[in-house]
Amino acid sequence: MGLLPPSSGNLSVLGHNPQTEPLRVREQVGYMPEHDCLMPDLSGIGFVAYMGMVSGLPREMAMSRAHEVLEFVGLKEQRYRKINEYSVGMRQRVKLAQAIVHDPPLCLLDEPTSGLDPEGREEMLGLIAALARLGGRSFVLSTHLLPDTEGLVDQVLLLNAGKLLAAGPVERLLSTQKHETVVRVRGDVTGFVTALSQRGVQAQVQGSELRIVLPTGDTRPVFEAANDTHTQVRYLGPAVRTIEDLFLTLAEEPPGKVAP
Amino acid sequence: MSISAPRYGAASVVRTTRFHRALAIVRRELLRRSGVGTILVVALTYLAVTLVLTINTEFASLVGTLSLSTFETPYASPVWPFLMLIVATSVGAGSLAEDVGNRSITLYLSRPIQLVDYLAAKAAATGSWLVIASVGPGLLGLAVILVLGWAPASLVLSGAAAFVAVGFLASIFFTGLALALSSLTTRTLYAGVAIFGVVLSLEIAAPLVSGLTGNSSVAYASPVTDILSVAQRAFGISGPYATDPVTSALILGLVGAFFAFFAGWRMSRVEVVGE
Repeated sequence: MGLLPPSSGNLSVLGHNPQTEPLRVREQVGYMPEHDCLMPDLSGIGFVAYMGMVSGLPREMAMSRAHEVLEFVGLKEQRYRKINEYSVGMRQRVKLAQAIVHDPPLCLLDEPTSGLDPEGREEMLGLIAALARLGGRSFVLSTHLLPDTEGLVDQVLLLNAGKLLAAGPVERLLSTQKHETVVRVRGDVTGFVTALSQRGVQAQVQGSELRIVLPTGDTRPVFEAANDTHTQVRYLGPAVRTIEDLFLTLAEEPPGKVAP
Repeated sequence: MSISAPRYGAASVVRTTRFHRALAIVRRELLRRSGVGTILVVALTYLAVTLVLTINTEFASLVGTLSLSTFETPYASPVWPFLMLIVATSVGAGSLAEDVGNRSITLYLSRPIQLVDYLAAKAAATGSWLVIASVGPGLLGLAVILVLGWAPASLVLSGAAAFVAVGFLASIFFTGLALALSSLTTRTLYAGVAIFGVVLSLEIAAPLVSGLTGNSSVAYASPVTDILSVAQRAFGISGPYATDPVTSALILGLVGAFFAFFAGWRMSRVEVVGE
């Protein structure tokens, strides 16, 4: 938004340079900060309408939009109450409302589920998903809670200690090990792993599970190894990889490697 | 909880200008500072000045000594500048400190306005309250005098011009001071104490140091003395003045402007993003 000068490189937001055209950028961006930044002496409706006016909406439009977005975020009944009477969940919702009141094509949401209980978290993610489904606008979600992004985002950019770990469509990033399979066996696990190895399949023991990569997807080596070692295959299925798994895997890798 | 899609349409609306966005901040700030305490002090100022002006004018017209200097009565003592100090403290102390304290400054600066718009809006709101408290009472008193026919219109107009000039000058000084000290802290209380403390300290220290050192120019350090000197000159009193009125006027204006720039510089250093 042009508030901080870049240390290096260039940035373009919706075709505008934030350093040279900060107002152009801010007109088109809605920002929901992580920290508490509300005006406690105002009512929810007064605050959101005020933010709409400062964003450039005419007074009547700002007021009608404030009613609309507060109803959307579930604060219809509480909109006339002072913000200092709001719970943490309500404060997060009013922060979301002020970010979207001027109908920006781009919304930056910084830790939107911060401080919320599981129910509040689900509701907040539901609101963001509902807004995203409307189309016509993009959301950038900054979060440490990677499970929040599951099923919600299309693209992911993983950062660790200021370094880029991975960037790209979620589907592509999570499908890089497409044929990774989870196997649970009962019996001689060590023998089973050796038998698999003899068939060219490397297995990784993770707790009670084995993770194997079947290059062609053919599961016959698993059952042959089980037959040879008289072990029982209790479970065989594709490994479900999450963004958190991907992050942890990449964070453990030596620096300098960036996932495509 | 209701999840129903809002009927988006704001994107197609013609946006207001930067001036109107800043005006929204001014309106909000004016309302925000209209606390009971502020209104009481301002009302008290209006009542006191109107009474003093009308009674004094009637008396002067009866004894035949009516002149422009008759209207200087409210400035005959430091009471009025101190009432302004109270108004400056109650409306200006929280002006920037509250926004930095509750971090709503982040929201302001993520909107399509510049820092200078935000600061100008804050200064305009604080200054408006001070002008209401400093210029308004004199004008009201003179209006009453005019309606009652106790002074000729030309004299009343000259008096109004003097009230406007002195009131605006004092407002510039107190607005700058309040903004500067408000930008230094995140607590309204601290800023209020600082505003009061700085002015009172100068009021006590300036005459003392001036007397001890025999250096009369130290008296310029007292804002109230400066205001009173300017008022005496504006209302046609021939002197002697505690300080040279022109120099005092320059000091008040320049120091007020310097403080306002300082507040701007200080706010530009505030970290508005990050954690």
